[in-house]
Amino acid sequence: MTTHPISAHGLERSFGTLVAVDGIDLEVEEGEIFGFLGPNGAGKSTTVRMLVTLLKPTGGTASVAGYDVVEQPNMVRRSIGVALQDAAIDPLMTGNELLKLQAILHGLGSREATRRSGELLERVGLTKAGNRRVGTYSGGMRRRLDLALALIHNPSVLFLDEPTTGLDPTSRLSMWEEVRALNKEGTTVFLTTQYLEEADQLAGRIAIIDGGRIVRQGDPAVLKDEVGDPTLRIEIGDSIMLDTAKAVLTTFGEWRPARDGRLAIGLEGGAKRMADVVRSLDAQGVPVAHIELDTPSLDDVFSDATGRRLEGAMVDDEES
Amino acid sequence: MTAAVGLPSTFDGSRHRFRVTLEQGFALAKRSVLSTWRSPAAWVPGLVLPLMIAAVYSAQFAMATQLPQFPPVDSFLQYMLPASVLQSIAFGAGNAGTDLATDIENGFFDRLMASPVARQSVLVGRIMGAAVFSGFESLVLVLVFLAFGAPVKGGVGGVIAIIFIAGLLAIAVGGFGVAVALRTGSPEATQSMFPLTFVFLFMSSAFFPTELMNGWYQQVAQSNFIIDPTRRLVIYGWSWTDLLQAVAVTLAVAAVSLSWSYRMYLRRLEVK
Ligand SMILES: Nc1ncnc2c1ncn2[C@@H]1O[C@H](COP(=O)(O)OP(=O)(O)OP(=O)(O)O)[C@@H](O)[C@H]1O
Ligand SMILES: [Mg+2]
Repeated sequence: MTTHPISAHGLERSFGTLVAVDGIDLEVEEGEIFGFLGPNGAGKSTTVRMLVTLLKPTGGTASVAGYDVVEQPNMVRRSIGVALQDAAIDPLMTGNELLKLQAILHGLGSREATRRSGELLERVGLTKAGNRRVGTYSGGMRRRLDLALALIHNPSVLFLDEPTTGLDPTSRLSMWEEVRALNKEGTTVFLTTQYLEEADQLAGRIAIIDGGRIVRQGDPAVLKDEVGDPTLRIEIGDSIMLDTAKAVLTTFGEWRPARDGRLAIGLEGGAKRMADVVRSLDAQGVPVAHIELDTPSLDDVFSDATGRRLEGAMVDDEES
Repeated sequence: MTAAVGLPSTFDGSRHRFRVTLEQGFALAKRSVLSTWRSPAAWVPGLVLPLMIAAVYSAQFAMATQLPQFPPVDSFLQYMLPASVLQSIAFGAGNAGTDLATDIENGFFDRLMASPVARQSVLVGRIMGAAVFSGFESLVLVLVFLAFGAPVKGGVGGVIAIIFIAGLLAIAVGGFGVAVALRTGSPEATQSMFPLTFVFLFMSSAFFPTELMNGWYQQVAQSNFIIDPTRRLVIYGWSWTDLLQAVAVTLAVAAVSLSWSYRMYLRRLEVK
């Protein structure tokens, strides 16, 4: 039987009149890191909670590890590791105690539980802190313990809901390393994030969710290409040459809005035409003071799909 | 999801389901005992306040024991023993509920539910943990009373019986808290229920014999089926009848509160 580790068809969840997840389709491939990108309130956690059997869909179907999330929830639970967003870790227990408890909840015997706990503490670099209460851990340490808890039974599918939100850059990088390592070992990872860079760096394929709907899905590089040509911005050294410069540039692509004193075009054919542009300007004697090529980012993909910026939305959120 | 509730879910073939379910319930009970033990604010008052009240009352009412209608006791302290134990339970009974509500509120409950743990282990573990802890507190209280010269006429059997009744009562009363916790998921709502248990406690013969009360208050206080038989184990001696009466009444209360909890549990699993 060849099944996708995660698939959803028309998956939907509403809370009263609010439709949090509005009929989404997903197919996650075996062994990939799938990034689920979206702003606050987009429906990321609601989707994850349905996929990990914590929330019943109000419409559609989904299966994880080949099992239906509604019909065979226990089979799903046995196959997956889950690190939820804001799921507290009992601060009065030690890391070691929690890992052993988690192992027993997954049906491991107590000797096996002890062995696995030691192994995982080592893996996430918490061996020394293992016998300290979680209440004394830093945010990064808690996140690593959370990951270790999710891995206790060697799951084939791992769900990480915003695993790096609120982490400092160093902790974020080490979390990325760990996720990559796990993926190399064959674990399929479903990762939600609000960070464009995280989706870009980690995920082989992404889905962008906004207002409960998936607005784009695919390989980030392809999605970026689809947005259109990269933007070429030029500042010329001598304003007398402005008309000459315009005449040259107009042959390379369409005009785009630019700041005063600059020119911008969508460079047809992308980065490989850069040299031609520079040569042509030079041939006409146009002095170039500044030149840059802006390839579309995932933010441009998001903006292309929704008309809003994701980065901006995040800044707003941090201020509120 | 209802079908999933009745089923122990972890089962790797080599290990017996029932055994796995037991291990899980035990591990969860252990966690709940450890967490309570490590937050002294949750249980120290339950030990200290009943002892202080006992000290004050037995000084205040020392002479009351000589009133003609007062039951034949060695001291007012001896009369107080069962009441103090029950009072301690009243203090601690809310903990099972508030701890569970806290787990629900902060997401630890979700962590459990996303694992293949047998659904009933989570409820049983929480309630058993509370019972064990209450039993332990009662033992400490009884030992302190014994040290201060309030004998338990029922002997070692009487002491064990008191601790057993205490544990059972913790389940029975705690079950209401657990139900409210499952229903509301709010520690504050759960907490706010528990002052009620004190009203019941004070409107009883816990601290004063009903023989010396009158009117409607006496009527209400006399309808107390747990404290009186437990007290008879302390002041008269061992009696199967008294033990059975206390246990039966407590079990009846437990049946009500636990079936309510279970309904709320199914509902929480269903609606989510
Ligand atoms: N239990 C619930 N009851 C009512 N509304 C809910 C519930 N859970 C989520 N919602 C609503 O559903 C929408 C989607 O929420 P969700 O938590 O899935 O967003 P998210 O993408 O995870 O956001 P964030 O990045 O902030 O975590 C929001 O409008 C939220 O308020
Ligand atoms: Mg979320």
